[in-house]
Amino acid sequence: MPASTRHLLLALAFLVVPAILVAVWLRGAASSLNIAPEAAADVAIASASEEGYCSQSLKQILRRVASACGLVQGQARGCKPADARSVVALAGKDFNAIFEPLADRARIIQFDVDATALDDGARRLVEQTWSDQRGASFFFVVARASTDGDPEYNRDLSDRRAHAVLEHLEQTFKDPDLRKEVGLMWLGADFAQLPEEFCTWQRSREGECTVKDINRSAFVAWIDCAI
Amino acid sequence: MPEPIIDSELPVPPEPSTGPAPQPTQQPLLEDDDDDGAPPVRFGGGISELRPWLLVVAGGALLGLLFAAFSTSDFVKHLDRQIHSIHCSVVPGAGLEIGESGCRAALMSPYSSLFRQSLWGGIPIALLALAVFAYLMFCAIEFALRPKLSKTDTRYLVAAALLPVVTSVFYGIVSIVAVGEFCDNCVGIYFSSALALFGAVVAHVKARRADQPGLWHNAYALWFGEGVAYVAVLTFIYFLLAPLNDKSVRGCGTLVRSDDPNQVMFALGGVARGAPAITVIDPLCSACTGFEARIRSSGLLDRINMRGVLMPLDSTCNWMVKESLHPGACAVSEAILCDRDRGAEIMDYALAHRNELIDLAKSDEKKLRQRLVEQFPAIKGCLGTPGIKNKVNKSLRWTVANALPVLTPQLFIGDRRLCDEDTDLGLEYTMAAMLAAGPGAAGRR
Repeated sequence: MPASTRHLLLALAFLVVPAILVAVWLRGAASSLNIAPEAAADVAIASASEEGYCSQSLKQILRRVASACGLVQGQARGCKPADARSVVALAGKDFNAIFEPLADRARIIQFDVDATALDDGARRLVEQTWSDQRGASFFFVVARASTDGDPEYNRDLSDRRAHAVLEHLEQTFKDPDLRKEVGLMWLGADFAQLPEEFCTWQRSREGECTVKDINRSAFVAWIDCAI
Repeated sequence: MPEPIIDSELPVPPEPSTGPAPQPTQQPLLEDDDDDGAPPVRFGGGISELRPWLLVVAGGALLGLLFAAFSTSDFVKHLDRQIHSIHCSVVPGAGLEIGESGCRAALMSPYSSLFRQSLWGGIPIALLALAVFAYLMFCAIEFALRPKLSKTDTRYLVAAALLPVVTSVFYGIVSIVAVGEFCDNCVGIYFSSALALFGAVVAHVKARRADQPGLWHNAYALWFGEGVAYVAVLTFIYFLLAPLNDKSVRGCGTLVRSDDPNQVMFALGGVARGAPAITVIDPLCSACTGFEARIRSSGLLDRINMRGVLMPLDSTCNWMVKESLHPGACAVSEAILCDRDRGAEIMDYALAHRNELIDLAKSDEKKLRQRLVEQFPAIKGCLGTPGIKNKVNKSLRWTVANALPVLTPQLFIGDRRLCDEDTDLGLEYTMAAMLAAGPGAAGRR
């Protein structure tokens, strides 16, 4: 075989083999690309929390409360006892039972007798509770007063307690979303007084706790339900 | 083309001497047994002395070709935008693995291919190596089949064999300095290159001097042209057949709310007048380390204004993950948001020390927080406060508002999200294409 022919044949042979291989690989990749699944198809989508305790009945009540008390519209105008009673359509005991699954999430901010100012412990606990939002959508503040004194005065007192919590949150966090997330209810001493077992929940004060103490309070909790 | 019949390897008759006759240094004479039609000539045994070394060159080239072929095949497999196992061993074709390895780091690095902004993934360096080793093997075999060979020929072989060696040295340095890991396949190529060069140098040393020094220019030009043709043909085939997918440019989703009312974004580089880009990132995720490096080396930072949004995949603060994929990521996120002006610096530190920080968080998160304060004293008094925890929550809520997949990293050019499969090999191509289409092009498609 002439040397030039041999040279040419060898050159072609050594070129054609890798060229065919590359073409086959690329064809394979093209076929695979056409049938490849979406990379993120099975990845979870970021969403708000929906905890196991968010039963349909609980969510229904929470939605009624949130809507009627202005929370859904972002007004944060709050509900007074008469509103709460009609909106919730529950006995006080049943109303309190709604919050029992929140034992780990809820905190009870205690106040002095006839006072609406937050002490250091109360401020600290409000801030901690607020900053532990996680995936929750709504923050409930349910303020009460003890049965001592005039019912009308107690309604006003619990109103001011609820707003004291809201104002502290606004001043501390300056969060533009705050008004859309915080729902206020003030119950005075008329409705859903907390029983003594709530003394075992996390409170802003340590030590002795009576039924009257636990009701001179604002119950604060993030609700991990998409309502 | 007939071979020249002038034979430089004919033994020179010894000078008359009075002393004992010198021992012959040449191999026994061989017959000209080729069928080139030229009158048969007798020539010296130089070629048979050279053949073993030419076969060493061919062997080195074959070994390099195998390594390059497996690397090219591994690269091409990834053009379907999926994750595949890759070969990673100093034995060609062995060590198929899907996890993290030096080979994967090298393959995913911006140094594994050229022209990445023009073609998805670019032209793999391994393809060029495949062409070069195929050509080198051809040269070695072709030379070995010749009836005779001079230093003029072998000099070219040395030059040809030098190319992969020089490239190997360059990429070896890149592996150490830029990639930070050695790839076993690449080491195989380095060895093959050295072996081929060794064979070529020995063959050159043993070859006889040429007796027609003026003819080498033409031969070299022809041979060099053949080498270029090898590279050009394989590159052309690659360009022609590389799969395209217009989804890469369309993107995978759009942002609903790209504004930042809660000031949770932090600057990550680029230029102020560049196209807006947002990267969703976990400061302790391993994929984010490579992602950041790829963006920085993409050459596109001067066309974007990149900001970061934190999505720590740590259940301490992120309710969307049941288990902490990256323990400590919430604390690092707090640190970044505490000092947003130095956020990029804090994130770089975290990505560079991720294993150490994760270990600290696993043992005691307080130690991690202490370490962060020691490293960045400005965050003292801010880290761990309710206010900054709330800020991290707002960052996560930004991802909720945009219904993003719970994964990191993610990149948005304008309001268009790069598909996840385009964030490694196809990053430069996809970014360049999206930037060329304009930030709001998604809505017009």
